[in-house]
Amino acid sequence: MNVAYKNTMDDPEELFENAPCAYVSLHPSGRILRANQTLVDWLGYSKEELAGKSFHDILSAPGRIFYETHFAPLLRMQGFFDEVALDLSDASGTTLPVLANAREVRDTAGDTHSVRVALFRARQRRQYERELLEARRAAEKAREELAALNASLEERVENAVQKRIKLERGLWYERQTAKLREQFVAVLGHDLRNPLASIRSGAEILARDPDPEKREKVVTLMRSSIARMSSLIDDMLDLAASRLGKGMAVEMKAVELGPVIQQVVDEVVAGREAARVETQIDLPDPIECDEGRIGQLVSNLVGNAIDHGTEGEAVRVVSGCSNGVLTIRVTNAGGPIPPDVRVRLFQPFSRAEVRAHQKGLGLGLFIASEIARAHKGKLEVESDEKETSFLFKMPQKASQTATQTTKAT
Amino acid sequence: MSIIKRNNVKISGDGQTPMIFAHGFGCDQNMWRFIAPEFERDHRVILFDHVGAGRSDLGAYDQERYATLEGYADDVVEICEALNVENGIFVGHSVSAMIGALASIKSPKHFEKLVLVCPSPCYLNDGDYQGGFSHQQLEELLEFLDENHMGWSAQMAPLIMGNADRPELSEELENSFCRTDPDIARAFARATFLSDNRADLASVRTSSLVLQCKEDVIAGQQVGKYVEEHLPDARLALIDAYGHCPNLGAPDEVIKAMREFL
Repeated sequence: MNVAYKNTMDDPEELFENAPCAYVSLHPSGRILRANQTLVDWLGYSKEELAGKSFHDILSAPGRIFYETHFAPLLRMQGFFDEVALDLSDASGTTLPVLANAREVRDTAGDTHSVRVALFRARQRRQYERELLEARRAAEKAREELAALNASLEERVENAVQKRIKLERGLWYERQTAKLREQFVAVLGHDLRNPLASIRSGAEILARDPDPEKREKVVTLMRSSIARMSSLIDDMLDLAASRLGKGMAVEMKAVELGPVIQQVVDEVVAGREAARVETQIDLPDPIECDEGRIGQLVSNLVGNAIDHGTEGEAVRVVSGCSNGVLTIRVTNAGGPIPPDVRVRLFQPFSRAEVRAHQKGLGLGLFIASEIARAHKGKLEVESDEKETSFLFKMPQKASQTATQTTKAT
Repeated sequence: MSIIKRNNVKISGDGQTPMIFAHGFGCDQNMWRFIAPEFERDHRVILFDHVGAGRSDLGAYDQERYATLEGYADDVVEICEALNVENGIFVGHSVSAMIGALASIKSPKHFEKLVLVCPSPCYLNDGDYQGGFSHQQLEELLEFLDENHMGWSAQMAPLIMGNADRPELSEELENSFCRTDPDIARAFARATFLSDNRADLASVRTSSLVLQCKEDVIAGQQVGKYVEEHLPDARLALIDAYGHCPNLGAPDEVIKAMREFL
């Protein structure tokens, strides 16, 4: 057994004890059976102290958990593990990063006899790996930040584009409105001058012509001119009031609205040859509203429906009140309203073009919608291939209760 | 995605009574390879991998669901429902002991008995309770997880291992059964080691066996005793084994204790 070595440095025992790595043999329980001098030097325990310890005792706490949950099962399953990173904890509690390889020594029955572990110092390497990991994390984070930045950039560009489009559209509308406003003033001047001229000539005829029959005809014409002028001026005032932000003043009263609507319809029809309007009004209870304004709204909607409807087809006016909502629907036959017109339908000067001699100033729907608003109601439009409906809706709950109270007394 | 595929469920055995095995933090269903075959004779043996481990469907991993043990317990209930497990036996190792306990509270009909191998309801020291670890130590563990090579390197790609003296491992992949995506491993470690389920023990109505190793650095004897005392219907079996994985280190002892209990 005792082979004489030329040099004690070649002695295997010496090689084991002072190898450039640490060796430790473990009992299957983890108890240290034998450790070499290198490990003794690394850890600062005496050989005797080490032999009484368990492998867990020289591992850091996290190393212990990791060893038990990962490496011990691995060792048992495949009989070995290689290149496992562990942290040893020396006598002073200082951490010693190592890489470990281990082999199970098994008996003939396949049971673990002992475990041999070789440990290599790996401070620099572990440090390097840690830095790699940090670099990897930093790269990952930078990538995420870049992605987030990209996403937000896209969003910001999209927002800016949307804003710009909106701005330009607004500018375009503004320009269109300004142009229309000029036309409007011209048309208004024209339209006011015409009836005014006819009143002036009427007055001259009255001044010199004594024929009663002729005089009566002239007076009728003059009255109609006056009515036309005063209607134009009323529209102007309504527009001005709305535009100045005061909104439209309404005087709410409980009224029998059915006859009012019927009368307005009759008046509109009387002024237009060949116009046909069917009404279906079911308003047995009084309605809380501004009678004159609602009449104006109906007049505007019906006039509009006749002007833009299909000749020969009747305009339908349907009104009722259910579930506390008053509805007035005016429908005509005709093609759909183009979407771009629809967007601006209830704005003043919404007409694509203001022409002289047209039947109004293009304020009808604007004023109708202002009347709806002043009644805390809504004016909506539905339009398809066959027909177009304007629907006025207005809450009536309070006045319904009032009506019932009135009925009760 | 079927639950069977999601959790890589494997069914074997000739018996009627279902016995479902759940692996702990670190590895996969291979943890049971020395135990499960023993029960195939008289049980319907069900093995599975937790989502994120082994050959489970990583695509099914949901950070929110698996941030706590509740998500894993929901998976166990879903597996039992998918396989119509009733009055079965649940065998859970380490953290899966608590996962099984939570599952039995959620849906008691599935299990008639629980076998809790090295259970711990709380790994943290808290006043008189000695879970075994300080908060700082557990935080260090979570950091340490990142430093190990498991899962990081491309070299970890499966290698076929030729192991002549252990043919049952011939298809085993080197190191792979302890291999986990590092992010998932960190989240599972967090769910495992920072959970405190001590208050849930009293709600477990199922008859339980606590298998405690003599020396276990992760779940010490005082922890096993705590679990036994706080479960309404439990008995403790101290087995002559070292370490936290008696299912690998001392399978015969584990099988013996289980047979006695069943």
